Amino acid sequence: MLDFSPLVTRWHFLLNAFWVTVYISLLSMAFGFVIGVVVGALRTYGGRGIDRVLGFYVDSMRSLPQLVVLVWTFFAFPLIAGFSLSSITAGVVALSAHLGAYMAETVRAGLTSVRKGQMQAALALGMSGFDAIRKIILPQALIRMLPSLGSLCTFAIKDSAIASVIAVPELLRQSQIVTGQTYRYAMIYTTLMIVYFLLCYPVARGVDRLYRRVAHLGSS
Amino acid sequence: MSSTGRVGADQPPILTFEDVTKRYGDLLALQGVSCQVNRGEVVCMIGPSGSGKSTLLRCANALETLEGGRITFDGADVHAAGGDARKVRQRMGMVFQNFELFPHLTVLRNVTIGPTTVLGLDRAAADARARALLAKVGLSDKAGQHPAALSGGQQQRVAIARALAMEPALMLFDEPTSALDPETIGEVLSVMKALADEGMTMVVVTHEMDFAKRVADWVVVFDQGRVIEQGPPRQIFEAATVQRTREFLSHLGWHGESIAEVAAGE
Amino acid sequence: MTSGWSLIWENADRFAAGALLTVELTVLTMILAIPGGLVLAFLRLSRWRVVRFAATAFVELFRSTPLILQIYWVYYILPVFTEIRLPGLAVALTGLVCNISSYNSETFRAGIVSIRRGQWNAGLALGMTNAQVMLRIVLPQAAMRVLPALASTWVSLFKDTALVSVIHVNDLAYVALKIRTETFVILPVLNAMALFYWLMGYPQAKLVDWIHRRYKVAE
Repeated sequence: MLDFSPLVTRWHFLLNAFWVTVYISLLSMAFGFVIGVVVGALRTYGGRGIDRVLGFYVDSMRSLPQLVVLVWTFFAFPLIAGFSLSSITAGVVALSAHLGAYMAETVRAGLTSVRKGQMQAALALGMSGFDAIRKIILPQALIRMLPSLGSLCTFAIKDSAIASVIAVPELLRQSQIVTGQTYRYAMIYTTLMIVYFLLCYPVARGVDRLYRRVAHLGSS
Repeated sequence: MSSTGRVGADQPPILTFEDVTKRYGDLLALQGVSCQVNRGEVVCMIGPSGSGKSTLLRCANALETLEGGRITFDGADVHAAGGDARKVRQRMGMVFQNFELFPHLTVLRNVTIGPTTVLGLDRAAADARARALLAKVGLSDKAGQHPAALSGGQQQRVAIARALAMEPALMLFDEPTSALDPETIGEVLSVMKALADEGMTMVVVTHEMDFAKRVADWVVVFDQGRVIEQGPPRQIFEAATVQRTREFLSHLGWHGESIAEVAAGE
Repeated sequence: MTSGWSLIWENADRFAAGALLTVELTVLTMILAIPGGLVLAFLRLSRWRVVRFAATAFVELFRSTPLILQIYWVYYILPVFTEIRLPGLAVALTGLVCNISSYNSETFRAGIVSIRRGQWNAGLALGMTNAQVMLRIVLPQAAMRVLPALASTWVSLFKDTALVSVIHVNDLAYVALKIRTETFVILPVLNAMALFYWLMGYPQAKLVDWIHRRYKVAE
């Protein structure tokens, strides 16, 4: 069980796979965050109609498994759109769309948790609504949402592994190629558990520590 | 109740309320309120909680809408359709009961954000103005800190500096000391008195009767969304003409000590 | 070879069976993961440091690694230690229960800890034992607080069951993907898969929202 030689001999191959995991995790975090801020702000300040339409998107992503969104984006979307996506592109698009919905809910909760008086104080200075949201409400909301955002980031890393089902060359998928060659299932999967743990756990703890240091900047 | 002898009566009033009506759902918060504020005057609004004073203030700078009546600022209707509420708010400063400093910004940035974002000042000029104002309210050494590190009284003084940074023509104070510990109320009231002595036009909603007595030029008494009496402090506190006013004041422990007596006792 | 929605209709029984298994997995996992989560929560609050550490390590491991990997890992690691080769469904269930119990333990732990110390003191002051205070005063209040979080975990779990398809368990996702490989019909089958999950998941998401609104905690 403790013979790690199959991994060591293929270390370069697996390191590339590791970077792919990091790459799609970061991209889906970034795109998901942008989607989350835009959709969350629009739902909070955009009026009933926009809230309903965007709410449909958010609630649908909450109902669909990541696996289904990934498979549909890679296999079904090209048949409708007429062009195909690479597996990495499809993976990032699907994961971002899915994560973005959860980010939007977090942003919405954060924005509505800021005291009403803050908006009044900003408006009383003569700021436009847009400026008030951008400079006063949103920064405070983001600080308050830090724990939830951090947890969503660990989900981005974990969900990247599901992209293996559409053959994205990330860590899980490439490791499965190695298990196919060497039959060292138990050892390789245990190593993978440790690697993902070392990726996610520090992110979660790091966000915790960051939050404790800046929380006072968000309490009004 | 005539206006002769009022401070600033030689010029048109800066702020007028004409028959102002405001509802919240079924509740009639303001019922036909009429009064005016002259330039250079300090007007204190007193009355039981829930009598509509704070609501009136928020209507003055268009943070709330009206159901009836008119509010004019420098002759122009504040709530005119197609009017620019932002321009009105730039020229009125507001200080809130809960301070409402922006917690994610330093004290200095709290004071400069109005001038830079709204007035378009460059950072250097805004910083200079802010530092002068912080010195004026006695908080120069707190410029680099965040609001969370300040006491309530200090935060409120920063809030006053923040409003003054916009160089307003008129300052609105919404129960500025109601959320403060008794020890810190004094420091905020001194800043407000100094401001009044410089000639700033102020409308102050307050429960601090001492302050109203000593600093106000005109007192307006509210009850259940109406103005029941208004006049100079001498009249209101020593010889109120309306029974309800006398009831309200005696309920606060005020038994008509003359203003001269209280001044002598300081 | 038929195509389009007639294909879906012909295989309606297989889709139904898959959907049923998805629901069964969700229900069974939650039934096991609630006591599982409670046990883990108490172990994490135990007086002995070793117990606390072991329970925390277990929980953090299952919360910081992907579920899809956990399912594979359980499938291949169990035979190493237990000499048994469990059928796919049991492996899937084991993985899901370990994972959801870990999330639940966090929920329960936070709920128990959130009951103010004053409540404990009030109970003890009446002469109750620690166990009585826990059972009659703290847990009932904590139960109200954890309900919204449990509801959210339930919907996550429902979505996570789709991952058991990777070890060929006949849930809705596996059935749909199998039909696709058998018939080479892609778009209607994938649309149907998405639609069926959406039809089951959307009401659950709305129900969770309602539970969150209804059981909002007011301090």
